[in-house]
Amino acid sequence: MSKKTDIIVVGSGLAGLTAALSARASGRQVLLITHGVGSLAVSSGCIDVLGYHNGCPVQDPIADLPQLNPEHPYSLAGAERVEKAIDWLQSLCLAGGLNMQKNLSRRNHELITVMGTLKPSYLCPESFCTECFAKARRAAVVSFENMKDVHPLLIIDQLHRYARFADMEFMEAMLPCPIDQSHRNVTPLDVARFVDTPEGLEWLRLSLEPYAKLYPILLMPPVLGVKNSQKVWGTLCDVLKVRIVEMVSIPPGVAGLRLREVLRNALNEAGITMIENALAVRAVADDKKCLSVVTSGAGGEHSWEASQFIIATGGILGGGVATSPGKAWETIFNIPIKAPENPQEWSSTEIFGRSFFSQMGVRVNADLKAIDDSGAVLYENVRFAGRTIGGYDYASEKSGHGTALVTGMLAGELAGKE
Amino acid sequence: MDHATVVIIGGGATGIGILRDLSMRGIQAVLLEQGCIAAGASSRYHGLLHSGARYAVKDNDAARECIEENMVLRRIGSQCVEVSEGFFVLTDQDDPAFERPWVEACAKAGIKTEQIDVKEALRLEPNLSRSVKAVYRVPDSSVDGFRLIWHNALSARRYGGEMLTHHQVFAIEQEGGRVKGVHVLNTVTGQKSYISCNLLVNAAGSWSGNVAKMVGLDVAVQPDRGTLVAFNHRFTSRILNRLHKSSDGDIFVPHGSITILGTTSFHADRPDAHDVPTEDILKLLDIGEALIPDIRTYRILRAFAGTRPLYAGKSGGQGREVSRGFHIADHQEDGLEGMVSIFGGKFTTYRLMAEKLSDLVCKKLGVHAACRTAEEPLIEEPSAELLEKAKKYFPVHGVTLAANRLGAAFPIVVEKAAALSSNPLLCECEMVSRAEIEYVASDPSTTSMNDIRIRTRMGMGTCQGTFCSLRTIGALSECRIPFPTPPTESLHHFLQERWKGLRPAIWGIQAKEMELGRSVYAATLNIDGALNEQKN
Ligand SMILES: Cc1cc2nc3c(=O)[nH]c(=O)nc-3n(C[C@H](O)[C@H](O)[C@H](O)COP(=O)(O)OP(=O)(O)OC[C@H]3O[C@@H](n4cnc5c(N)ncnc54)[C@H](O)[C@@H]3O)c2cc1C
Ligand SMILES: Cc1cc2nc3c(=O)[nH]c(=O)nc-3n(C[C@H](O)[C@H](O)[C@H](O)COP(=O)(O)OP(=O)(O)OC[C@H]3O[C@@H](n4cnc5c(N)ncnc54)[C@H](O)[C@@H]3O)c2cc1C
Repeated sequence: MSKKTDIIVVGSGLAGLTAALSARASGRQVLLITHGVGSLAVSSGCIDVLGYHNGCPVQDPIADLPQLNPEHPYSLAGAERVEKAIDWLQSLCLAGGLNMQKNLSRRNHELITVMGTLKPSYLCPESFCTECFAKARRAAVVSFENMKDVHPLLIIDQLHRYARFADMEFMEAMLPCPIDQSHRNVTPLDVARFVDTPEGLEWLRLSLEPYAKLYPILLMPPVLGVKNSQKVWGTLCDVLKVRIVEMVSIPPGVAGLRLREVLRNALNEAGITMIENALAVRAVADDKKCLSVVTSGAGGEHSWEASQFIIATGGILGGGVATSPGKAWETIFNIPIKAPENPQEWSSTEIFGRSFFSQMGVRVNADLKAIDDSGAVLYENVRFAGRTIGGYDYASEKSGHGTALVTGMLAGELAGKE
Repeated sequence: MDHATVVIIGGGATGIGILRDLSMRGIQAVLLEQGCIAAGASSRYHGLLHSGARYAVKDNDAARECIEENMVLRRIGSQCVEVSEGFFVLTDQDDPAFERPWVEACAKAGIKTEQIDVKEALRLEPNLSRSVKAVYRVPDSSVDGFRLIWHNALSARRYGGEMLTHHQVFAIEQEGGRVKGVHVLNTVTGQKSYISCNLLVNAAGSWSGNVAKMVGLDVAVQPDRGTLVAFNHRFTSRILNRLHKSSDGDIFVPHGSITILGTTSFHADRPDAHDVPTEDILKLLDIGEALIPDIRTYRILRAFAGTRPLYAGKSGGQGREVSRGFHIADHQEDGLEGMVSIFGGKFTTYRLMAEKLSDLVCKKLGVHAACRTAEEPLIEEPSAELLEKAKKYFPVHGVTLAANRLGAAFPIVVEKAAALSSNPLLCECEMVSRAEIEYVASDPSTTSMNDIRIRTRMGMGTCQGTFCSLRTIGALSECRIPFPTPPTESLHHFLQERWKGLRPAIWGIQAKEMELGRSVYAATLNIDGALNEQKN
């Protein structure tokens, strides 16, 4: 079986979703094929652009971009594209009912995490912004019984270790758990799903009320719903007359899922078809031109033809890059990634150190097409976006969603122009 | 503490065994260990409670010691021994001429072997290679090293024995041809102290040569590095050995939900040569394929290495040629009073080694007391009543696991759990609950997350600490148990330890886990940034 479309995007992480939307803006037909959900299901949903450069904190990421090495995806895309992509996503989200904000002084936000650490990020849902702490110096730190990943006392101890919070008054607010009391872990996602229901929202309002009377800020895990968090946040802040600040949390990624929901709705509205549970296993190419990708799923193999392809299959975790002892390669086109033969040399002895491992991915040019060692393009009609591209360490830089967004949008735009 | 009748150097199986034995005989003793308990070979090992069959042909005496001690440990340490059994398997790559003499040697050592039909063996172990030629049953078992040592320590404590972890002996004081005491460095606080003693016992395993050097003696203890690979699956129910002359990579030992493959044998120039070269892992996978053809499809949890304290005696020799038996030296023979050493041996025979050494100590001190360690169980079985009560606070399967892990401390932890409003599992892979972690964390010998891991197995399961470590840190803040280092640093240190074990096997599914771990702790929680930005 064979179907032909203009542009095929593989992968539905942030890079794939934004690539599909920006490609569609050209008026072309777009088909999105994906195996799973991608990192949005586990990540914070805040758009980190650049938090650290060579280990030093970055205040204004946009201003610092030109200093990145020339192989960095931002350098390839061009620094000016970064702000453009951010603004585009911001307006997309706003149209979808999610208010994403930059820091008032256009510098990195300092978001609060469930470990009580601060994390630089550039664009985040309004409910995560921490600027309110500049005025109010008192806050209740909220968690729920049996929510094992969120301990208010840890957060308080840890925040007090930062100059910015050293003299703040915090109070622990442990709420009873609204979900069954077995030995099971209760995650912010469990509570958020409950808060999506009218009774859940009412329960949360009542539980927070006593603390809202005492403290101007309530700091809490991301439990303000998955479907309509903006409204939940607005309503609760209004009726309780407090400022609620959500914390960046570990998987499952409530805020990532919120962002995904908004983008998926946008995809529907734009008339983009999305085929799920389809694993692209190989590509059929004629010399330097890709003719189709072949997927395998419940119904056997399918071949999908298109004129342009965008591969946004993520990194090692996402499935876009595979490894065996001493070898690494891109998984659909089998593009080899030059790796040290000795696995011992792949990683840094320090877990958070930069290494081949932390930056491995496909080498691309400014057109986001894969190139070989000599710089020659491998496939004329195939572009790569997101974590599949190598040359940066998103974890230590804090640039994961930023690079996915910028390269996703650019890949879509370029493919739409061909 | 400024004086002890006996000071023991080394908190591995041997040293702790000696501490328990002496304490039970009423001799006041203190044990000094430079790291956490079982920092040396006693945790960096295979966890095989040898039947002795492996040594039967080459060293029949050692084989006999193994089978005898194997039976003793099943009795006194039932909570630490997983009674499975072993298969000795002749593959198409092994010399069939070895089979007969092996069967005879086992019989001579008193090791029961039973040949079983290959078809039946494959039914029992479906992942075993289809091309095996002959299979024998032997009474091998697996043993949890951390736990056995911890239970020995708890038992010793009941008899007044004292154990100081993170205490390194850096010099030995002597006067007129007699050992007077030891100079000790607390490796956590940096404080130095002096402990005088009537008798010094050197049970420092691979380090025992270094300790002997402190008094100017030269002994032939040869550290010999062995690498082990832990897989995230129990793909064999029994211990699998190759039926051939002992060699590399020929044993699979299942423990709980994992399997450990090993090992190699390389001359090491340092006792702490714990780095794992990737070649070792690849070599083990190559060899392991003969028994388990699908070996490469299983996820590697981590790889680690230990050094065997091989005692070459006066005759020399290297690697597998050296006897696995042990040797006791009374340094009186070298002209030094007040110090004895124990070299070589195996984990399986630690109790016997401790007994023999303690006999010598008693003789030297003029104490007449018989050894009772072979009769008295390490811990008392928990009562049915207590187990019933515990079911209210622990998940059903978790009760036995916790009771076995905690030994004598189990009743205290049940009380703790009862007092908490809820007792969630902080480590879901190994079913470790908050009450257990709180108890272990408040023990004076606990100074880090690693110490907690060693006693509870928190962080040793599938997630390798990615999820449970944050929870543990959180719970410790909640119950206000102070740590020498603040949360971010503690967590970083812990993750760093886990990272070490993954680095040499960075491919396949493990590589995904590594990317996940970095993402959670760096991309989301910014631990790496916080390390530089928080104040103490
Ligand atoms: C736990 C975690 C926390 C993070 N936290 C943050 C954070 O707080 N801030 C931040 O900015 N970044 C964070 N990141 C990084 C960021 O999420 C990623 O860098 C970014 O989202 C990558 O997006 P992507 O679209 O390139 O890849 P992914 O999100 O990995 O998506 C890949 C997609 O491709 C699909 N796919 C893969 N192979 C195939 C195939 N053969 N056929 C079909 N489909 C396929 C996958 O199913 C998936 O849908 C985090 C990452 C993780 C894992
Ligand atoms: C790879 C491998 C696999 C093995 N597999 C098995 C097996 O399956 N079954 C089996 O029975 N045996 C096995 N063995 C052998 C067994 O592990 C060892 O024989 C046994 O654990 C040795 O115990 P020990 O107490 O003598 O030494 P160790 O456990 O090494 O203890 C010595 C301790 O002394 C401490 N120390 C050293 N110097 C000082 C100092 N100056 N001050 C304070 N403390 C000090 C060290 O930190 C160390 O903890 C294996 C060994 C290896 C290496």
